Amino acid sequence: MSATELRAGVLRGKVLPDRVVRLGVTGLSRAGKTVFITNLVANLLARGRMPALNAADRIEAVYLHPQPDMTLPRFAYEEHLAAMTGDDPHWPHSTRAVSELRLSFRMRGRGVLGRVLGPQVVHLDIVDYPGEWLLDLGLLDKSYEDWSDSVLDRLSKRPEGAGYLALARAEDGSLPLDDPKATALAQAFTAYLHAARQAGLADCTPGRFLLPGDLAGSPALTFAPLPKPASLPKGCQWAAMQARFEAYKTHIVRPFFRTHFARIDRQIVLVDVMEAVHRGPTALEDLRRTMAEVLLAFRHGKRGWLDRIMGTKRAERILFAATKADHLHHRQHPNLTALTEALLDEAKARADFAGAETAALSLASLRCTVEDEIARDGMVLDAVRGRLADGRRIALYPGELPSDPARLLGPARAGAPRWLNADFALMAFEPARFAARAGSGPPHMRLDRAAEFLFGDLL
Amino acid sequence: MVPHLEDPLKAPAMVEVDGAFDPGAEVFADLPEAPMMEAVAKGTRRNSAFGRFAAWVFGLLFALVLAVQAWRFVTGLWAAIPWLGYVALGLLVLALGVAAVQAAREGLAFVRLSQLDGIRQAALRAHASADLAQARNVVARLDRLYAPRPTMAAARAKLAQSQADVFDADTLLRLTEEALILPLDALACAEVMAATRQVAVVTALIPLALADVVAALLANLRMIRRLAEIYGGRAGTLGSWRLLRKVFVSLLATGAVALTDDLIGSFAGGGILARLSRRFGEGVVNGALTARVGLAAMEICRPLPFVAAKRPGVSATVAQALAGLVSRKAEASALS
Repeated sequence: MSATELRAGVLRGKVLPDRVVRLGVTGLSRAGKTVFITNLVANLLARGRMPALNAADRIEAVYLHPQPDMTLPRFAYEEHLAAMTGDDPHWPHSTRAVSELRLSFRMRGRGVLGRVLGPQVVHLDIVDYPGEWLLDLGLLDKSYEDWSDSVLDRLSKRPEGAGYLALARAEDGSLPLDDPKATALAQAFTAYLHAARQAGLADCTPGRFLLPGDLAGSPALTFAPLPKPASLPKGCQWAAMQARFEAYKTHIVRPFFRTHFARIDRQIVLVDVMEAVHRGPTALEDLRRTMAEVLLAFRHGKRGWLDRIMGTKRAERILFAATKADHLHHRQHPNLTALTEALLDEAKARADFAGAETAALSLASLRCTVEDEIARDGMVLDAVRGRLADGRRIALYPGELPSDPARLLGPARAGAPRWLNADFALMAFEPARFAARAGSGPPHMRLDRAAEFLFGDLL
Repeated sequence: MVPHLEDPLKAPAMVEVDGAFDPGAEVFADLPEAPMMEAVAKGTRRNSAFGRFAAWVFGLLFALVLAVQAWRFVTGLWAAIPWLGYVALGLLVLALGVAAVQAAREGLAFVRLSQLDGIRQAALRAHASADLAQARNVVARLDRLYAPRPTMAAARAKLAQSQADVFDADTLLRLTEEALILPLDALACAEVMAATRQVAVVTALIPLALADVVAALLANLRMIRRLAEIYGGRAGTLGSWRLLRKVFVSLLATGAVALTDDLIGSFAGGGILARLSRRFGEGVVNGALTARVGLAAMEICRPLPFVAAKRPGVSATVAQALAGLVSRKAEASALS
């Protein structure tokens, strides 16, 4: 806050400076970041469905800024909300660029002192970005050699990677760089990344290869993993690729991280655990490893006095959330939460140790099912009823998640090809039409708890 | 090692067994259930078998004497003046009927009081186990309890609407507490403060020794009865006495230290008043005691534990109650 602003505030009789909370929404592609942000904002604007947000009754007014940042597009809140709640509700399109949003709360003060000081303004800044780009954070600590080795190793285990692997094995990295060939390699690798993402695999680095934006074709995006040759003459292909990999890190990944994630106060990690379980042990293990790598990049922990003086930010609270909890009957939510906690245990333990507050929960950013029951073999199964993309309405019992997460994580770690004695069927439900209620946002599950944990103490 | 066949104990043995087992859970299977709690329960058990037997015998004897006396009285009258005998018989039957109705009402009041207790216990269990089904059950019971009150219809409707959005036991219970119980808390606090004031004034103004004690006792009983009514019990006379006993037990069990703490505060706070007048000082102390009793009674009658709301403090309640008294008194003295 500048001196001018401060003076203007004091002149208007406002004693307290505005507070800014940066919320980092982290999640891989298709984890539901956009829907989470949209419905969180909608439910903060109309708080009828936020009983767990304790500060809700002290909020005098909430305002969504039309243009929070001069250099970034604004998050298309209205557009996304219209998609989710319109006449023919559907999920918003996947995010292709970074956008930002600022929500301002005018809070009534607490107690006698609060009444004297008057209302305080708290700004909540949220950034939306393509989840693919988040994967790159895992590259920050890796050298080109490490990265190539791990990628090629993984490729050999996946059918989608056979094409590129043959190409890379045939390549001799000690030959001088030939640009058309490098482009061809990069394209083949990109094709593999697309195929891997189609198959539901989480780690598809580098993320910009999937969504290059205006960087398409630049040298920093024209590299691919190659096996290290025995000798490295000057100007050889491998060395050039290494240089481009480093350039990718310094010029693309690091600025992205610095502008959007290095300064967050609170963090929510959205994970689509159920989809991974549905796809099988490989996808679950893939998700676990990817999230562990990505979360390594963040600085968690309590802000000390030195941090305050220096202005260093740390994520003080981290919420690990399993999304799409509405695809599961609430009776199974504790199991889903336990699985999420165990899945992200590495990051959670590290954050706990650093002094950050962590929690896990199961949420549904936009609730699109109601709970139902299915009778089968004289038993009653707890199901959910929802609408599919083709317009059918079904009641679904997806199967029982084990109460002990190790039943799933153990086989996943061991590399089992499929679940042994568990079957988990999942359908992709579309948003349902709902009757709007005055003073309430669209329905959700536990968004209020998430909000309370993430920034309830700062309101 | 070769097993000695003549000594079967030394030979290795292996048998296949059926059935699942869980080494994690087995450890706790044979442990006695919370031995500490058991010991506490044993220590605080109210009556021994002999005591109950004695009470039964004495009660029966007393009832017998009463019945025989009544019968003698009626038959004696019959023999002397027959029509007066009929009147006496009619009155006796009427009295018995009234007593039965009274007993039934007291019994009903007991049931309602224990219902409040049951709801609170269920709420605590739901809270501890984070069981949404149990929490929903608690809310349904509370809803039934307050259904006859027209003043609470709006709050109940609002709760029913937002209940559908809640999937966690603790959030649901907190929401219910805020919607239904918080308004009742305000009424209850007002009742406690009124009683506090009353006792303080009575102690300060009634010149007779012991009369103030009786007045304070009556005020306390009335307050407890009103509190039970506010929270949905309808304590009868016996119920009020029983509640009073429970309140004192809980005061002694949980708050003995706090009691002295508060009283020290009250003595110190009442110091200035005590300088002015000994009786005013006593009034403040008695008032503080009443407030303490009232808040304990509140906790016993409240169908949900204090979670969303903060438990009202004794000192604050006394201060607030007496602030009203003193300012009013000051005004009164200024006017006269």
